[in-house]
This record gives sequence, structure tokens and C-alpha cells, in this order.
Amino acid sequence: MKLVVAALAALVLASPAAACKQQGSQAYLETRLVCIQCHTTLDESDSTFAVEMKNEIARQIRLCRTNSQIIDSMVAQFGPAVLSTPQTHGFDLIAWVLPIGGILVAAAALAFGARTWSRARESSNSLLLDDRLTAEDERRVDEELARFE
Amino acid sequence: MRVLRVGAVACVLALLGLLVWDLAHQSGPGVAVKVDKGKIVRAPALNLPRLTGHGKLSLASLRGKVVVVNFWQSSCYPCKLEARDVAAASRAWAAKNRNVVFLGVNAQDLTGPARAYVRHYGVTYVNVRDALGSTWPKWGVTGVPETFFVDRRGNVVPPHITGQASRQQIDAGIRRALAS
Repeated sequence: MKLVVAALAALVLASPAAACKQQGSQAYLETRLVCIQCHTTLDESDSTFAVEMKNEIARQIRLCRTNSQIIDSMVAQFGPAVLSTPQTHGFDLIAWVLPIGGILVAAAALAFGARTWSRARESSNSLLLDDRLTAEDERRVDEELARFE
Repeated sequence: MRVLRVGAVACVLALLGLLVWDLAHQSGPGVAVKVDKGKIVRAPALNLPRLTGHGKLSLASLRGKVVVVNFWQSSCYPCKLEARDVAAASRAWAAKNRNVVFLGVNAQDLTGPARAYVRHYGVTYVNVRDALGSTWPKWGVTGVPETFFVDRRGNVVPPHITGQASRQQIDAGIRRALAS
């Protein structure tokens, strides 16, 4: 009998979150969401509003909401500005594509510059090689030198 | 080399264009500063979703009426201090003069606490939601609460109340807007 009572008490006292199959993570969500008033991630802010947002996350976790459901509810309230990282679709995609594109353009520019520079160097070397005296010039130099002897 | 030079010049010109565009689109100090100097200024547009209920509400749709525009947040202490007075003033003026309406602008707030605030303080006038506070720069709002008075022609008239508004201040502001 005591065992049954204890089991029933445990069931009653067990937090609803414990019954969740899946639920969001407070720590994870605090890094993914930004305090709209202070513009830092929630884990880095203790402002009144950040605390309110943290409480709201905790409340939703208790309701067995998953990370993506909680993020969606925040985006529905504040728009994508509430996310700490830009979305990977729509206009926000530019934020991901632009740096990669920039790196590629910079690499291409470097490769192009290096190629141009090495070609310029090769042609200047070949000019030096072509500067060898012709037979006529050699004859004239020999004549001039002979005068000094 | 010529291509690189052209590319670099294009980049510099693009950045310069961006700077000029940004400077041209800055909203300036907002109407609050001008109103505080005693000027009468055209009210910036407000077209925001309702905090409770569906659809949007535009300030332009209230043209012809004196509008008391009150910016607030549910977590703001002075907002809580003035909330009952503002709500009482709205009810009193609604009974006295149908050409006076109140409009609450809830900014940078969670919808749950904001709706609870409205219920708790007996706010019966319309409230709209500015999730990111995007209207603040044009109005010149620097904190909450702040209260503005818009006359029947859509102009913001002095006074502009920063901080907790008293019933007397609200009544005086409405009378000034009605006389404008």
C-alpha cells in the first residue's frame, strides 16, 4: 500500500517537463535568441527584458515545446531579428553567401594578380636574355676596345 | 591589372553610394525634439498590428480626431505607475468628447506580458504592437513611457511628456490639441 501511495505521489509531483518526449534546451535557446532591447544573445544579458525572454522560454519548455517551436514562436513575435544567426533562406541567405563569395573573389583576384606578376617577370627575364649582343655589336665593341690597347 | 583597378574603383564608388544613401535616409532627431522646442510637427506614420485582435491600425485612419499616443512596455515601472491614470483619462474623455481617442504603442515587448498588462490595468483603448521599436526613431522616443498629442489635422503639438504622465498633464495636452 505504501508503495502504491509513493508511486502515485511521485506521478502527481513529477514535473510536466519530465513527461515530455522532446523539449527545448534553455541553454541552447539562449544562444540562438537575441534580446531585442539590448541586442546581445540572451545568455550574455541579464537585462529586465532578457530575463523576461528567458522566463518565456522556460515557460514554453515546461509546455513540452521543442527548440524549433520556441524559436518559431519568437520569430512570429519579433521577426528574424530575434535570431542570433541569420536564416539560411530568403534575404538572410546573403549574410552566408556574401563572405564565401568574398573569399572566392579575393582568391580569384590573388590568383589573377600572381599570374599577371609572374608573366611580367618572365617577359622581363626574356628581354634580358634577348639583350645579348649581336655579331655586329660584338665586332664594334672589339674594335672600340682595340683602340685602348 | 586594369580589371583589378576598375574593380577596386567600383567597390569604392559602391561604398560611397551606400554612405550617401544612409546619410540621406537618416530620420534625424525625431519629432520629440522639435515638439519640445514648442514646434508643431507633422505626425510620423504609424501603421501597426493591433496588440489584441486582428488587423492593423493606422494613425492616418484617426485623422479628424485628437489622438493621445502613448508608448509603453509591460516591464517598465513608470509605465505601470501611469497606466491606471492613462486608462482613466481615456474613459473620461471618451464619455466627454468622441473626438478624443487614445492609442497605445507597445514596443519591444513579449505579447503575453503585454496583453496581461492591458488586462491588469484596465486599458480599454486600442493598442498596437511595434515589436522592434521601429517607430521610435521618427517619433524621437528615447525611452518609455512617452506621450504625444496629435491634433485633428495630424500634427504633433506640444507638450510631449517623457516619463510618467499625470492626469493633469494628459488633460492639458488634450485641451491644447483640441485648440490647435
